[in-house]
Amino acid sequence: MAKARWGRRAVWALAAVALTCALAALAGCAGGSGAPAASGEGTLRVGVRSDVVGFGYLNKDTNKHYGLEIDLAEELARRLGYADVEFVDVLPETRKDMLLNGEVDCLVACYSVSESRQKNFDFSPVYYEDRSVIMVEDSSLITSLDGLKGRTFGTMSGSNTAPQLVIKLTEAGFTNGEALEANADNSDVRFDTFHLVQVPSYQELSDRLEEGSIDAACMDASLANTFNDFDRSLLDFQIDTQSYAVATQKGSALSQPVAEAVQVMLDDGTVARLIDKWN
Amino acid sequence: MSTKLKIKIAVLVAVAAASMACMAGLLFTLQSNLSIDSYTQEMRQEAAALPDLLATADESATQNTETHDAIFQSKAASVAFMANNNAGFEAADAKMVEYKDLLGVDNVLVVSRDGAVVAKAQDTKANFTYSRFNELRTVFDGGAASLPVEVELPEQDWLMRYYAARIDDNTMVVIEQHPAELRELIAETGSTASALKHITIGEQGFMFAVSAKDYLIEYHPDTRLVGADALEAGIDVAALEDGAFSEITLSGERLYAGVTKIDDTYYVAAVPEGDLAATRNITVGVILFIFFAVMTVVIMYGIFVMREDERRGHDPADFRAVGPLRYNKTIGRKAAVFSFVGFIAILGVSFYMQTLFALSSESVANDERAAEVEETIQRATDRMDALTNQYSERYLSKARVAGYVLDHNPGLANREDLQRLADVLQIQYVYVLDATGALTATNSSYANFTLSEDPADQSFEFRKLLQGVDSVVQKPQTDEISGELRQYIGVSLHDDKGTVNGLVQIGIRPTRLESMLESVQIGSVLDGVKAGADGFAFAVNKADKTFAYFPDERLAGKPVLEHGMTEGQLKDGYCDYLTIDGATYYASAVETGDYYLFVAGTEGELMAERVPLTLATGGVAAVCLVVIFFLLAFDVRKREGATAAAAAAVDAGVASADASASTDAASAGASGEEEDSRMFDVTMPSGRTAKTESAASRWIAKSFKWHEKTAEQKTATIVKWLVAVSVVAVCVAVVFQDRIFGSSSIFSYILGGEWERGLNVFAITACIMFICVALTAVAVLRKVLGLLASVLGARGETVCRLLGSFIKYATIIGMVYYCLMLVGVDTTTLLASAGILSIAISFGAKELVADILSGLFIIFEGEFRVGDIIMVGDWRGTVVEIGVRTTKVEDGAQNIKVIRNSDISNVINMTKETSYAFCDVGIEYGESLERVENILAEELPNIRKRLPAIIDGPFYKGVVALGDNSVSIRILVQCSEKDRIQLERDLKREMKLLFDKHDISIPFPQVVINEPTEFKKATYAEKLSADRFNEEQKAAAKKLGNEDEDEEGKR
Repeated sequence: MAKARWGRRAVWALAAVALTCALAALAGCAGGSGAPAASGEGTLRVGVRSDVVGFGYLNKDTNKHYGLEIDLAEELARRLGYADVEFVDVLPETRKDMLLNGEVDCLVACYSVSESRQKNFDFSPVYYEDRSVIMVEDSSLITSLDGLKGRTFGTMSGSNTAPQLVIKLTEAGFTNGEALEANADNSDVRFDTFHLVQVPSYQELSDRLEEGSIDAACMDASLANTFNDFDRSLLDFQIDTQSYAVATQKGSALSQPVAEAVQVMLDDGTVARLIDKWN
Repeated sequence: MSTKLKIKIAVLVAVAAASMACMAGLLFTLQSNLSIDSYTQEMRQEAAALPDLLATADESATQNTETHDAIFQSKAASVAFMANNNAGFEAADAKMVEYKDLLGVDNVLVVSRDGAVVAKAQDTKANFTYSRFNELRTVFDGGAASLPVEVELPEQDWLMRYYAARIDDNTMVVIEQHPAELRELIAETGSTASALKHITIGEQGFMFAVSAKDYLIEYHPDTRLVGADALEAGIDVAALEDGAFSEITLSGERLYAGVTKIDDTYYVAAVPEGDLAATRNITVGVILFIFFAVMTVVIMYGIFVMREDERRGHDPADFRAVGPLRYNKTIGRKAAVFSFVGFIAILGVSFYMQTLFALSSESVANDERAAEVEETIQRATDRMDALTNQYSERYLSKARVAGYVLDHNPGLANREDLQRLADVLQIQYVYVLDATGALTATNSSYANFTLSEDPADQSFEFRKLLQGVDSVVQKPQTDEISGELRQYIGVSLHDDKGTVNGLVQIGIRPTRLESMLESVQIGSVLDGVKAGADGFAFAVNKADKTFAYFPDERLAGKPVLEHGMTEGQLKDGYCDYLTIDGATYYASAVETGDYYLFVAGTEGELMAERVPLTLATGGVAAVCLVVIFFLLAFDVRKREGATAAAAAAVDAGVASADASASTDAASAGASGEEEDSRMFDVTMPSGRTAKTESAASRWIAKSFKWHEKTAEQKTATIVKWLVAVSVVAVCVAVVFQDRIFGSSSIFSYILGGEWERGLNVFAITACIMFICVALTAVAVLRKVLGLLASVLGARGETVCRLLGSFIKYATIIGMVYYCLMLVGVDTTTLLASAGILSIAISFGAKELVADILSGLFIIFEGEFRVGDIIMVGDWRGTVVEIGVRTTKVEDGAQNIKVIRNSDISNVINMTKETSYAFCDVGIEYGESLERVENILAEELPNIRKRLPAIIDGPFYKGVVALGDNSVSIRILVQCSEKDRIQLERDLKREMKLLFDKHDISIPFPQVVINEPTEFKKATYAEKLSADRFNEEQKAAAKKLGNEDEDEEGKR
């Protein structure tokens, strides 16, 4: 009843407004508006991920990217005065070389800041903080780090997680941190109390966890969220925070403007708004 | 056309365009906002109810999973039981295959504690050494069956659930089972889908779910979309926020959506815009068209009058000064009337369309919902059958296990072991019977029992097991004492050699089946049904016409007829209002095996908003029309102080306009000399002068030239065109409905004829549609006939006209008949009763009916109109009024003759612009015709001067007759019909005076009077001789010539 009354009142109000408008229109009013078109020239080539939902994801049907980093890159290019953005798909193992070779102007590709990387590249202020977590199957009955003694950890190859994991585990006294044995491409390393396996994709990491060939999967929380179905859990152990920032070639002309633009976007809430959008 | 007029026309057109835009904007906004407001409300309600709904679904899923898992845990446990009870167990692959078949599972394995496979029925993808399977190893700790472990890797085609039971401290039995059945069950009862599929928003709205993790669509009513990427399907990620309401696009479909985020899922309540918009667009379109038509008529009329005015020159009497403006009375009055009638039309059409829009939406939605409910019931029934079979099979498997165990170790046939077996198998009772059918062991307290030998008894069936039948599965039956559902299954037992030596029977209470049976009861099916904001479903029992289910439980079981429903509402496809206990609902019905299912709702928001919407529409229309009226009727008065030059210029303009007008008139006059003008003024009974068309011109199939028409006629032509356009548009829409509109549009609904026959908005609309189609068809046909007539000879034209007339009447009768049928009049009884009616009429009301029919025909045929001068019999006069029963004609003496319509025959319609009066005068034969003609030539113009009623003439028409006594000449004048009689008298007077003046004598019959003569009397002798002569003559002539006397007698 209340609803109906509300609705009716709204209609009356609308009708009144409409009548007023009608009168105004008849009295003769004219107006025009035109927003100044954004101008700029050149194309910014941005290295982005194509497989991380929410950050950088390529729709293969429409061939369009979407995600937080895509929006961020577009906004960045706009603020830097570029006319267009070209998205170049990068993978964790290729992104470093692509930026070094100048195949892309910058990386907005879940690329986290680390000391080693700062030697090669310039980083903008951090636009997204993510943490790495350990995910296990409930049916393994592992509920704490101790349960993982002698077990196998899996990480994504080329990501920052593996070294951070080893450091953290060492800090926690879980291991002595010494690699006892490793295969040719470091994809299978044996430590004193655990095994570290690196797999090429997050999907495979999840599959390996499902079949049981790894006992714990380490990945960024934003990704773990995607793969965490109802019979998996996150251990109460934080590996490290990953700080995503825009990377540019060391000392390039772009470094300074990019860093400033990102800072402005952080200050004026643009980044917060985009993060909220892609929460 | 003067510049001033051009400017005025431009302004008028601009105002009209602005009004249209304004009205369109208003209608679209109002209609959309109205829908959106109510949808938003509804979405909020649904969102608020969602957590409970999901919790229920979750609970149901948990329960189902537990039940399902318990079955397989029991299977694992039964293998362990066999291993521990000396029932032929060995850890060998062959044995595992045997168990696999016995238990009806996918794989049976014996696995050691560290994960090594000891024995297996077939290969497994699982590596039990992984910690992934730690859960299974819990059996070694507690001894109880473990929780299941499920592995799902679609890429490896690996989806299995694992169950374990402990054999001994180092080995366990593991059952591997594909959880298809469980998935199916959960999808049906416990999933997001099962919770969301019953949710409806408005008529077409639904709810779908999108994962917040990967933006995959988890549930959508359209199963093709399930699993699709929501972002790829077109949803903007910004729209996916908790509490957001916005318009989204999903796989090409526009939706108005409200989002709720619960846990890691976005629940999106969505209403498709397409279908609703189509209906809304029709509604808005029709209202706009009417608005457009009214404005066009008013504006065009004004323009025509102003142009005419300009051509004729201004008549100051037409204007009245109002402040700085002047008011044009000629335009003002009529424009006001047109505007007012148009305004009423707009209100009417608006209200009508809103009603149609609201009710058809509701009907379509209710019908759909009713069909869905019917389907749900059907599905539930099917599901129940399937479930009964499934459970029978499952219990049979348990019975077989019991049989297998007892065959291998008959020593277990004692109360304690049977109780353990019953626990493992999760059944209530196990009965072991010997070869005679007598109970030997059981875990129940009921120990003394023998299978009945009476075929009527329930237990008799199990005797078959002793006669070679392998198994007996009885249907679940309701226990007479407890009222619970019970089921008995038996399998035969064998001795070592394999011969039957008894049977084992298990007794189960299938609680799951019981609850399923309950869930397909009509009440529980209808309980969750929602239709729109406040709709619900109820069912009426066919057999005894009582409420089988009604949300208000007090009504359940009560007879429907005592609670406001009528017999006529209990039928398949009913769709109209109905009243239950004083509350009115709009409902749709479907008929099922045992019930009439009704989906009912209150009138709803749309209906409630009709009045404000109509008034808003009317308000805008009124404002627009008033503005247009002022523009038309008022003019800026020239200021007194205007310069003479300007005035002169205007005068010159007027003068030149006058000049051109006069040349126009002249040319018109020139053409008019050949034939009468077809339009002229008549004085109406009210004293008003109106234009009419001459009688002769009414039936000639020749249209007026545009410039010949009066402003009214031009306006009428425009109205005619507008009507034609709308009729043809409706016709086209009806004929091509499928291509233009979707299957759920108003058009399809109305043409589908699913609505209730009766005097309702659908019937009226269907009538309008049918009439439009019929009129279009008839118009086309008549046009074709007209074309044919134009090329055929006189006979052809006669036939074509006759055919045309026939088609017209046939169509009218057909339309009346069909429309009566549509509004629910039973036409067959109507026809039958027409027979009886005609008898009644022929006795009493015959005259009356004849009058009425004649009246109708006078109007249809257009024999005459009000204001016409007609001659009926010898009564000549002006038609004052054409009534249904009588026609009133006024003669020259202001006497009114009331003529019954049936008496009006042989009418002479003398309505024409000019008639003529003549006067024949006789001249003596002796008079010189040439002299008279010379005098006439001289005098006729003088007569014209004296008689102002003469329009043209007098003309000398020559010699009419060479009579007996005179030479008749004819003098003729042209005059208007109303002056004719008087003018004839005047003419005669003039001629008499003229002839007197010039000594021309008019011959007249003369009587010559003579002197009378004296007659002599006959003598007596003469009398006698005369008598004799007579007799002689008669005798001589005999009978000759006597027949003449007969003739004379006749005369």
